[in-house]
Amino acid sequence: MRMGRWLTVTSVECAKVSAQAVARIALALSIAGPFAFAAAMRVQTSVPADTLFGRSVTESGFAIPLVILGFAALWAFPVLTSVVGGDLFSSEDRHGTWSSVLTRSCTRGEIFAGKVITALAFATVAVSVLAASSVAAGVIVVGQRPLVDLSGVLREPAEALTRVVLAWATALPPALGFTAMAVLASIATRSSAAGIGLPVVIGLAMQLCTLLDGPEAIRRLLLTASFGAWHGLLAEPPYYRPLIHGTIVSSAYVAVCLTLAYRLLQRRDIGG
Amino acid sequence: MAAPPAFEALGVSKRYGQRDALSRVDLIARPGQLHGLLGPNGAGKTTLMRVALGLARPDSGTVRLLGCDLNPLAGGLPDGVAGFVDSPAFYPYLTARKNLALLARLDGHRRWRHIAVDDALMQVGLAGDADVAVRGFSAGMRQRLGLAAALLRSPRLLFLDEPTSSLDPAAARDIRALARRLADAGAAVVLSSHDMAEVEELCATLTVIDHGHVVFAGSVAELRMRASSPMHLLHTSHDRAAIEIAFQRPGVRASAAAAGGLEVAAEIDALDGYVIALGRAGVAVRALERRARTLESLFLELTGPSGRGEAPLPAPEAAEGAAVAPVAS
Repeated sequence: MRMGRWLTVTSVECAKVSAQAVARIALALSIAGPFAFAAAMRVQTSVPADTLFGRSVTESGFAIPLVILGFAALWAFPVLTSVVGGDLFSSEDRHGTWSSVLTRSCTRGEIFAGKVITALAFATVAVSVLAASSVAAGVIVVGQRPLVDLSGVLREPAEALTRVVLAWATALPPALGFTAMAVLASIATRSSAAGIGLPVVIGLAMQLCTLLDGPEAIRRLLLTASFGAWHGLLAEPPYYRPLIHGTIVSSAYVAVCLTLAYRLLQRRDIGG
Repeated sequence: MAAPPAFEALGVSKRYGQRDALSRVDLIARPGQLHGLLGPNGAGKTTLMRVALGLARPDSGTVRLLGCDLNPLAGGLPDGVAGFVDSPAFYPYLTARKNLALLARLDGHRRWRHIAVDDALMQVGLAGDADVAVRGFSAGMRQRLGLAAALLRSPRLLFLDEPTSSLDPAAARDIRALARRLADAGAAVVLSSHDMAEVEELCATLTVIDHGHVVFAGSVAELRMRASSPMHLLHTSHDRAAIEIAFQRPGVRASAAAAGGLEVAAEIDALDGYVIALGRAGVAVRALERRARTLESLFLELTGPSGRGEAPLPAPEAAEGAAVAPVAS
């Protein structure tokens, strides 16, 4: 596989994604959503007391991104990270363009690599934009005030900001796991609806499984469990075991899904 | 000495489920040659094109493109190989120019990419629509855009799957002229078409496929030589009765001609007996004219029930095209 070629494919895919309204809408919602949420918290009298840091949303601007992080793990991350990954491959089926793309000088492997990089890059950008917007919304709308962490320790604004940013960073591995799942669904089903919808459904099913009284070993293998790994960063002393475990599980999901997706694409006859 | 083949498919087989889409198909096209690929619907023409372009993997056999073994898993298409199958498709939300620019990037074009794109659009007559989103294109415009996408690869081997099927006569003529120019410049062009006149006009050599098997490969002249019986155009006072009588006569096959009258395939002795039988049955023969066998009639003979699975057609036809004066009026 030639590196220059898959970088070329990546640039072509990025050009296609940037021309599509759905990607722009997803990013626009990622920017606007946190501000709307922060504004609503500011004007309403009640707070989401049953969620982590929900009680603090009117006291510290750094609680806003943490509440949004907890909420996004439920369904926003699977949707946001699948919007492009779940459509990049199946859109070639929808438009009938596989034969145009595969009759150029790039190999299937290079096409696959370029598309996957684009999907993972978009997921990273989308999570980063949502994170940045959440922090900005909290700081601007509520204020840059100290945050009381899960152990009751008061964190000064600078330290709180660092921990919030790290907490959001821990969401990236499972988010990329969902992107890989969307890529697999997109190639296997050749349907964008399935490519985007299946990761969401699977994510919700995983959330339900965590509520059941099943074996701990199985629950720890669920991708959604990794979204809660950031709790250890907001405790004193901090604990990292769930974070390490979640990163390993997420990496395994990425590896397995992308390997299966690659094999499916390589073996596929286009048309006929 | 003949130039080495630009395209070589040897013993190519492809199976979809229980159906043999291709069965040990051989096809060779040489530089500067326009090679026709004919066959009825479902014969395997498009499957062969897909295999040639690396879109489908053959179950067995070898494919060589410009001297390189085709391995779709290991490498993309060699430079200089281009083409399209079915109707060419593009991203509908992008303009024609943007679509081609992206495809040119996948080909590794860096410098002069925009010049190449503009040149390709001009060659297929789409320069005026370059900045229109493809979703607004007609089928014919998409077909021309498909050809423009192929031209970006400076083809020395070009596969065209029914390239004029959606075009108006003037546009079809332009595309045929373009294919001819490419062949004159040394490219090998493999052209699949349902339009017999198009193949007859453009192609010196052809391969006829039926049910995944090659039933003929050679020049158009060789195909004519293999015709079984001379063809005649017959006008009678009662065509339906004449067809019924033909059914009862050995060595005579009659069918309604597209332009009116009957097409009758028969050797001269059988034809004499048939004309006498018509007279006895009270069917008047108003005109009988010997016709050159059209490619279409030869094609139908090869791929029809009588031609399929039988031994090669015998008896070269003598003095074809010689018109015989009407015997009755």
